[in-house]
Amino acid sequence: MMAVVLAVLVLVALPAAPDEVRAVDTPNDDGGSITVMWTLSADDAALSAYEVVRVAEDGDEEVVAVLPAGVSRCVDEGMPDGRAFRYRVNAVLGDTLRATSALSEPAVSRAQWFNTRRVNVLVALLLFGALILYFIGTARKGKKLFIRRIAGLDAVEEAVGRATEMGRPILYVPGLAAISQISTIASLNILSEIAKKTATYASDLLVPNRDPIVYTVASEMVKEAYAEVGRPDVFRKESVFFVSEDQFAFAAAVNGIMVREKPATICLIGMFWAESLILAETGATTGAIQIAGTDQISQLPFFVTACDYTLIGEELYAASAYLARDPLLLGSLKGQDWGKLVILLILVVGSGLLLVSGVKGLEFFRAIYEFFSVA
Amino acid sequence: MNFAERLGRIDRRIVFAFIAVVVIVPFFLPLSILSRVSPEAQRLFDAVEDIRPNDKPLLISIDFDPQSMPEIYPMLEALLRHAFARDVPVVVMALWVTGVGLGELALNQVAPEYGKEYGRDYAFLGWKPGFAAVVLGMGRSIPETYPTDQYDTPLDELPVMQGVRNYDDIPLAISLSAGDPGVMTVWIPYVQARFGQDLGAGVTAVSAADAYPFLQSGQLTGLLAGMKGAAEYEFLIAEAGYTEAATPAIQAMDSQSMAHLAIILLIVLGNASFILTRKRK
Amino acid sequence: MKQALPRLLCLVAGVVMIVQFFVPHGVSETLFSESLRWVRIISAFALILGVRSIIAHHGTRVRRRTAGWVYSAVTLTAMVVSTFIGLFVGKDANTPSLLASGAQTPIPLHMQLLYENIMAPLGATMFSILAFYMASAAYRAFRARNKEATLLLVAAFIVMIGMVPIGAAIWTKFPDVAQWLLNVPNMAAKRGIWFGIALGMIATSLKIILGIERGWLGGGRG
Repeated sequence: MMAVVLAVLVLVALPAAPDEVRAVDTPNDDGGSITVMWTLSADDAALSAYEVVRVAEDGDEEVVAVLPAGVSRCVDEGMPDGRAFRYRVNAVLGDTLRATSALSEPAVSRAQWFNTRRVNVLVALLLFGALILYFIGTARKGKKLFIRRIAGLDAVEEAVGRATEMGRPILYVPGLAAISQISTIASLNILSEIAKKTATYASDLLVPNRDPIVYTVASEMVKEAYAEVGRPDVFRKESVFFVSEDQFAFAAAVNGIMVREKPATICLIGMFWAESLILAETGATTGAIQIAGTDQISQLPFFVTACDYTLIGEELYAASAYLARDPLLLGSLKGQDWGKLVILLILVVGSGLLLVSGVKGLEFFRAIYEFFSVA
Repeated sequence: MNFAERLGRIDRRIVFAFIAVVVIVPFFLPLSILSRVSPEAQRLFDAVEDIRPNDKPLLISIDFDPQSMPEIYPMLEALLRHAFARDVPVVVMALWVTGVGLGELALNQVAPEYGKEYGRDYAFLGWKPGFAAVVLGMGRSIPETYPTDQYDTPLDELPVMQGVRNYDDIPLAISLSAGDPGVMTVWIPYVQARFGQDLGAGVTAVSAADAYPFLQSGQLTGLLAGMKGAAEYEFLIAEAGYTEAATPAIQAMDSQSMAHLAIILLIVLGNASFILTRKRK
Repeated sequence: MKQALPRLLCLVAGVVMIVQFFVPHGVSETLFSESLRWVRIISAFALILGVRSIIAHHGTRVRRRTAGWVYSAVTLTAMVVSTFIGLFVGKDANTPSLLASGAQTPIPLHMQLLYENIMAPLGATMFSILAFYMASAAYRAFRARNKEATLLLVAAFIVMIGMVPIGAAIWTKFPDVAQWLLNVPNMAAKRGIWFGIALGMIATSLKIILGIERGWLGGGRG
């Protein structure tokens, strides 16, 4: 009799069990994980916790997570791939009272070969790549492409001429970053063009480096540039040199070169950090013409303030096309511009969709908007 | 050259000397004018405040070196004081090898103030090469990524690391970052975006502008921006009664305030000269 | 042939890394971390070339007694001394080295000591020069030459004063106005530049991967 009364009391006190427990292989991962979702218990507000229980095929049970009330999702990690597991979620009231849900359908964890959340990136990449290749193709057919004037790059010719007239060297700093940075590669391309000009005029070129790999590449490029214009005899091996991997030791050394050698022209082109103003301001005190260029937005104000010409962001990447006037490279610039137009359109359309999705009944527009967000 | 022209061409050395004076004087005559805390510093403070005491640890990554020490080191000290005062366990690591010494310095300084014991209340994982592999590996398993701590003690022998498997067991990670690898190049793309880790940051003033968008997008829980951020955090923990220790950043902010005023004065002088000489012409 | 092999390597590596971004499988992550490891190993070898360059560059200057050769001598001495200490004395007081395999080094002058007492203060000094250079650059450049420059001047004035406590002490709204300037007009302009940079990066990467841009290999392109 007592047992029956107790059982009834417990049944009355038991919270409602969570409902609709679903277990699925966690999408877009490298396996070893299953995502469990459930509908909250009707007594959620009163619960102390949810217990997520993993049930193996052989019936082995294990509590894999204890989560606070209000949570309806859990990622169970660290299990073997290819084996089926079922899940049960207990609603826990106080310390001991548990209402148990039904078992989920079995789920098997697997590693995926494609991240579906990055479809939008893939679409953008393909679209953008196609645009660039298309314009390179039209350029190859001989179509004339317009490119706007970039003052900083027009100044390069004048700068080399000035150095020759004054009999002073040109100091070219290809940034402080590694070769893996696009800005370093862009800078090296500009260096190659400048080296051709210094070779033609037989003026001195100094290229201090912070990264040993960049040093090796820069050295090779300058040598090739001299050979290409038929002046390998003017090339001095020691004009491209390695200084130090330490940021401020490098800055101190370059400052020293500026003060001692008094270059006619200083180019600070590539990736720069806190040393940007230290270099540019020292350069300004020596009276040199200074051409700077970087894609580090936070350093741009310093360069704009202290240098005569500054290549802002993408102008740096456009430089090699601009200086070499190579139609293939110019074609890619055109593709870039179209890419920007597409982004602009997406921005306008996306903002519009977000605005519209706020209206009752039009919430589905949000899904289109979310397609553009990157995970 | 008349007076107006001279105003516009003050010798560089005089400008430097003037700045030196206005920076040095407040060290001896403190003004202590900090009275307002930015919302982003307050949010970081609140996030640390929300961590349950004596439970899962706060993770602090030292991604700076002695060169940015004046700005960022006071943040590290203030964060450690906040956590230790609230009995929140702390795990410290470094993405910059040159930051390891700074981590040790701060822990050795702050932990004794609160009677905290190594291994029980805090751990120092040290530095490992390959920052991307390290933070990604930690998302899978911290003990597998760091089998031992900085002092070669196996992680499972440290009580503070018991039950800490991966980011799921880290309520908040804070990157004190002076560049790359740091909060914007490693922690946000690899840890916040990939594992949904709650992330706070302390950065140098010059890179703060780059960090703000992540605050707006919700990828950063809170942010300490430069010396000002450090001063605000010192102010917050002092106000909450967690510490009576010295406040180096608040003091240094006096110098910064004065330097800003001095620069504004110089700009005004330059422009006065420019306008006067132009009128004459 | 001299260019064909590097271009092929570049094409393969570039395509593999693009594909890697879209593949969540463990194989892809291993590939990524493994390639990062390769980069580190290659950098270590390139450092040897760097050291050779330092010795050649400064050695020549010292031998020829060119102007400022003393600085070159200091550089070479510093390099030899720190290499010796790093190899034979050790990283810090507790790390074994070639001279001492035990816990304690026989000479108390280890790398950590050099770092803390020479490198760190020198680096901090260089960094702190920024404060002076900012003042002189701002004084020289911020002139109300035209409407745009005046606008820049006013914005700079507000941000500079709003970002330090004295700004709030003068007018409580200064920090808010400064923050608004940073978060709204400044951010809008920055994002615009960012878009350009991001697209420029993709375009340049594509050009390099496809071998259209070959300047980085040295020599001509096309």
